[in-house]
Amino acid sequence: MSILRQLKVVRTAALRSAQAPTARVFSYQLSTKASKDPPVYVSASDCPYHNLAFEDWLFRKTDASVPLLFIYRNAPSVIIGRNQNPWKEINLRALNTLGIPFVRRKSGGGTVYHDLGNTNYSVSVPRESFDRRSNAELVAAAVRALGPPAYVNERHDICVDGYKICLFFSSLFGSAYKIIGRRAYHHGTMLISAKLDQLGDLLRNTKDTLTTKGVESVRSPVRNLSHFTPGIAHEAFVGATVREFRKKYGGNEKPTIVGKDDMFRVEDVRKGIEELQSWEWSHGQTPEFTHVLTRSFPWGAITAHMHSKHGLILDSTRIDCDGDTVCAESCAAIGEELVGSRYGDVSELISRVEGDGGEKADIRSAVLRWLGEEM
Amino acid sequence: MFAARIRSALPAARPLAQTSRVGALQRTTPAFARTIITKRYTKDHEWVSYDSETKIGTVSITDHAQQSLGDVVFVELPSAGSEIKQGDQIGAVESVKAASDIYAPISGIIEEINETLGDQPNLLNKSPEDEGWLCKIQVTNPAELDDLLNEEAYTKLCEDGEDH
Repeated sequence: MSILRQLKVVRTAALRSAQAPTARVFSYQLSTKASKDPPVYVSASDCPYHNLAFEDWLFRKTDASVPLLFIYRNAPSVIIGRNQNPWKEINLRALNTLGIPFVRRKSGGGTVYHDLGNTNYSVSVPRESFDRRSNAELVAAAVRALGPPAYVNERHDICVDGYKICLFFSSLFGSAYKIIGRRAYHHGTMLISAKLDQLGDLLRNTKDTLTTKGVESVRSPVRNLSHFTPGIAHEAFVGATVREFRKKYGGNEKPTIVGKDDMFRVEDVRKGIEELQSWEWSHGQTPEFTHVLTRSFPWGAITAHMHSKHGLILDSTRIDCDGDTVCAESCAAIGEELVGSRYGDVSELISRVEGDGGEKADIRSAVLRWLGEEM
Repeated sequence: MFAARIRSALPAARPLAQTSRVGALQRTTPAFARTIITKRYTKDHEWVSYDSETKIGTVSITDHAQQSLGDVVFVELPSAGSEIKQGDQIGAVESVKAASDIYAPISGIIEEINETLGDQPNLLNKSPEDEGWLCKIQVTNPAELDDLLNEEAYTKLCEDGEDH
């Protein structure tokens, strides 16, 4: 509920700032030519937080009757869907070792790996002209102009030679009124020269005993565009996509380049960035899950039945030990101490326990360290 | 569908405050209880079915909404006990096509949430206006129902949307 409240605050603020001076300054700057052309924005930032927050703001705030195109690239990052479980979807240890962030986006769907080798585009169109196939055709035409013989298959995927070259998220987040009634959003990630092997390492899921509610990702055979036509670059794809967008929706204005400073000038984008970076959103939005962990220790075999919701450990969590009373009591104590703490974060508990001293403290500290590694 | 039929059979649901009072007084004699079920819709495609006797409003998304959204894969529900105002975001629905906010059609306190949706989110597709209810709200101001659309107005809204 706290997340929902937060969302609501952002939403209300977004509505308010429709009249706020910051928004006016920004829209003035974005349309200095006073043109009626459907707007095309290309991001100059490669920060996933900036780009996803800006995209969300564009979608929620801009005039629904005008088609819109936004193109951006992100530095290496893993982007998970709104209702996914990062502990299940991502190899968090590998991610931390590489210093790569994971970001939970506002829209639904599965997990994708982003780096500068893939280019993301979002097309927003008024409902009456929405047709997922025609937007996919638009991007396929842009790819064909660059060489690879791209086509749209019966499931509306963009393919070359039977391989998907583009990944789709579901539509962006918004009110049903907007999605059903007034506009539709189409979002894709074009694989140009992405490090697809990274994807395997970072998204490999080894937690077979973690059972989660929410949305799980589906893997599909993908290939980079550069596999078919070596040398294709981000800039060429941007150019070709903008040309196709203009051909279909009109106008001849050059794309507006949006930098970090432009984005930060909008209060709602700043707030959006803050929210995406917060623990409450990145981890706290995780649906309920259970995780069973077992290991043999010198004092007995320990089984931890972890239960978590909103990223916090629930009081139904139980840690059992088949050893003697000391071990069983120590484990039961850990189970109680863990309640309410953030899943996977045991550092504070360990330092508290180690201050206690004695045999029980040794057991608790060893078990906590193990849980910290395995959670 | 059943609830919709009851509602249209009892179109004279106004004035609400008075009818619900009558219902409460007659609670001890259920054989004669005059419960009026009023079903109303929002432009955001939520529905609320208000029971004048219990003062409980049951809330979910419309059949039109579930059809447009496609297969529902996850439902975010509010916490029981939380106090909400009409128009507040109380949850979200993620489908294969979109993730969309759900707004409270009416003010009150969340009495109960439909836990079954946690394991079976597709109940929203199968039975959006019955088994796929999202939450029950203890309604604080039944007069707010007057701000919402009746079935006829909502149907017209959906048809107009498709004409575009």
